[in-house]
Amino acid sequence: MADRRVAITGLGVVSPAGIGIKPLWESLLVGRSGVRPISLFDAGKFPCRIGGELADFSARNHVPKDYRKAVKLMARDIEIAVAAADLAFSDSGIVTRSAGADKMTIEPGRLGCNIGAGLICCDLDELGLAVNTSVTDGKFDIRAWGSQGMANLTPIWLLKYLPNMLSCHVTIIHGAEGPSNTITCGDASGHLTVGEAARLIERGGADVVIAGGAESKLNPMGLLRQTLLNRLCADGASPQQACRPFDAAAAGTVIGEGGGLLILEELGRAEARGARIYAEVVGFGGACDPAGPDVTKPTVGGLDQAVAKALADAGIGAKDIGLILAHGTAVAKEDALESAAWDQALGESARTIPATAVTGAVGSLFAGAGGVELAVAAMALLTQTVPPTVNFADVADLCHLNLSTHPRGAEIEHVVSGAFGTGGQSGACILRRYRK
Amino acid sequence: MTRRRVVITGMGTVNPLGHDVESTWRALLACDSGLAKTTLFDASSYPTTFAAEVKGYDFARQVPNADRHRHAGRHCQFALGAAVQAWRESGMEACKELDRSRLGVYLGSGEGSLDFDNFTSLLVDAWRDGRLDTAAWAELAFQRMDLYRETEQESNMVVAHLAGEFGIRGPAFNVLTACAASTQAIGEAAMQVRRGDVDAIITGGAHSMIHPYGVTGFNRLTALSVRNDEIPTASRPFDMTRDGFVLGEGASILILEDYALARRRGARILAEVLGYGASADAFRITDQDPQGAGATASMRAALADSGCSPGDIHYISAHGTGTKQNDSVETKAVKAVFGELAGKVPVSSVKSSLGHLIAAAGATELITCVLAIRDGILPPTTHYRTPDPECDLDYVPNAPRKAAVRVCMSNSFGFGGQNNTLIISAFR
Repeated sequence: MADRRVAITGLGVVSPAGIGIKPLWESLLVGRSGVRPISLFDAGKFPCRIGGELADFSARNHVPKDYRKAVKLMARDIEIAVAAADLAFSDSGIVTRSAGADKMTIEPGRLGCNIGAGLICCDLDELGLAVNTSVTDGKFDIRAWGSQGMANLTPIWLLKYLPNMLSCHVTIIHGAEGPSNTITCGDASGHLTVGEAARLIERGGADVVIAGGAESKLNPMGLLRQTLLNRLCADGASPQQACRPFDAAAAGTVIGEGGGLLILEELGRAEARGARIYAEVVGFGGACDPAGPDVTKPTVGGLDQAVAKALADAGIGAKDIGLILAHGTAVAKEDALESAAWDQALGESARTIPATAVTGAVGSLFAGAGGVELAVAAMALLTQTVPPTVNFADVADLCHLNLSTHPRGAEIEHVVSGAFGTGGQSGACILRRYRK
Repeated sequence: MTRRRVVITGMGTVNPLGHDVESTWRALLACDSGLAKTTLFDASSYPTTFAAEVKGYDFARQVPNADRHRHAGRHCQFALGAAVQAWRESGMEACKELDRSRLGVYLGSGEGSLDFDNFTSLLVDAWRDGRLDTAAWAELAFQRMDLYRETEQESNMVVAHLAGEFGIRGPAFNVLTACAASTQAIGEAAMQVRRGDVDAIITGGAHSMIHPYGVTGFNRLTALSVRNDEIPTASRPFDMTRDGFVLGEGASILILEDYALARRRGARILAEVLGYGASADAFRITDQDPQGAGATASMRAALADSGCSPGDIHYISAHGTGTKQNDSVETKAVKAVFGELAGKVPVSSVKSSLGHLIAAAGATELITCVLAIRDGILPPTTHYRTPDPECDLDYVPNAPRKAAVRVCMSNSFGFGGQNNTLIISAFR
């Protein structure tokens, strides 16, 4: 089956440090973080009041005119996915149904979709408005709710918050009638979707798949949950410098909002149409931590196993890797475990291969993280450049990755990128430099 | 290149009709109904006052290590019970050669239930001048909300519980493609076995949306039956008088493995997974493609993957939700795929008795396909009285039917247009 190879031909990124891969890449090269005080809601009573909030973002600019009304039916997570999809397809040069059914340059049934998503929080003001019509003596009255209160919610209320709606809106807008999946494995989602999508192309189930993930936990529930998990940093003097992956001063992560979607395309098809090929996807592995569900214990989800499997899948060894794209949550205990996992998987090379992480610039993007990380990995291969790790200054004691404060030129043949999330799943992908 | 064969060697289920496979099967063949007045919350004033709840489930009895899972939410408790049954039946625990890094898990599990009382009281108590005062909300929330109640809501947490229970180190996935989730999970899990990414994989789904906002959501969509006066017979797939689906809950888990491993360890093989197909309607988030193009594509893809032709299929386990739209669209799609054979292939929907288990529906229905093959008997579409001219297939109405069944197709179509089809067969 290896005769069907998988190319990356488009990147779509929505992140606090740039909307579009180029603005994000620029931010990374100059060490600019998109973390700022939270303005989406009053976070004054939370211990952490900063986040990677999107600036000047609207999905309306990323949907066809006749679909703009539907933007009102989209939770923030869905908006991010829809925008990232538009950017990714535009970048790839593939014309989809968003330009008109008669203009498509891909057969609808051969276009698949696989978008990672998280637990979407409903709009609390919207629900609160309805709930507060059903209060008797200061307490929620479920009988009043059932008979009248719920009628204050828009009929399609539920559909704003189903995680599969990221994929569904994208398939509708772009006319993607091939297999469509929604993977919900926290921060590992992006790598798992890209890995699964690559397999789908490899076995002939689709010729092009849009894959990655998107999420926003930058809302009161998300902030509450991450605070309860004790994963967030407290406010520092400078929000931009707060999120410090693998740094000695790492004090926790910040929540970001964003996502990344990649256009994966059967290599022969991409070459035949003269597409720009960022890289090939040549290896994938997934794993999990058998420790179980205690979320108070830090985990990297068996990342070493995922990486080892990805290497075996690609048929390469640690010496072939030119860049490690680490996950780097900036939660000190997770960073230390992650560094140990890279040691385990790559041996001594883990400490010499150039490495980087993007979390310092964008915060934790959860289901959106993997797609962004893989997009950055693809750019690193295309430009043969290792971007610096934003906010990294002094390496933490238990971290041994070869990180840098400045961009580095390099000869990169393969990038390995891995991620893991709360709950203990991990995924890793190997991208290879494309040569004609 | 010969491809790896994927076989089913264990099954478990917790659902409105039973807390194990055999009692569920007996109840289905007896045409029992799992539907009753909602007891999980006060739904008496809701448009729909009933549901298909799991009743009297004894988690501690079903799961020996229940104390290790004390934070497990409702659907996760169902999943653990079903998984313990499946694992036990597979005999995998005794398999010395099983490398746990080659054991995967691929679920279609739903989100965990909201901490409803605290969540809702916060919306009331922190409401100021027509909007939520998030500062006041935060102060109260940190007093009231519990870490585990909150984190267990992420839909990957059931995977985490199963990983802990069975020492899984291999690939771990959860998908949430609405009503199609567990069919998709099983299909993708089969692909992993076939490709050799795992030797065995625990797959299936779990879900409970029978909570105040879940029912609110479906009631607002007018997707649920409102036949509050005829509760036991309210779920009426393919019947002219159908008026919506009936919300159920539960979990079903299957063990898939590489046939070579099953043979070496002498496992009892229940069935073989022959094919998997997936498609997207790419039509509207609220409606299915009225022509059923997506459903058609999904069935055709599964046929192609399995190497079967329509004439090889002996039984179709329908998505058959009992909504006006689904059942006529699915009928149209079956006709498109099966042509003149369409009226001859029996099609039934066990949702008529079980209700709609949402993410867990497909896995539960696939288990009934395995049993249909084993016993040579088709589960019926119950409560079928009034034919609908738009639904004119053989729906196996009201009574189980003896039939030589070797190959079954099972369909699941998710809200938003994600469609999945599996084909399984008796093992030879």
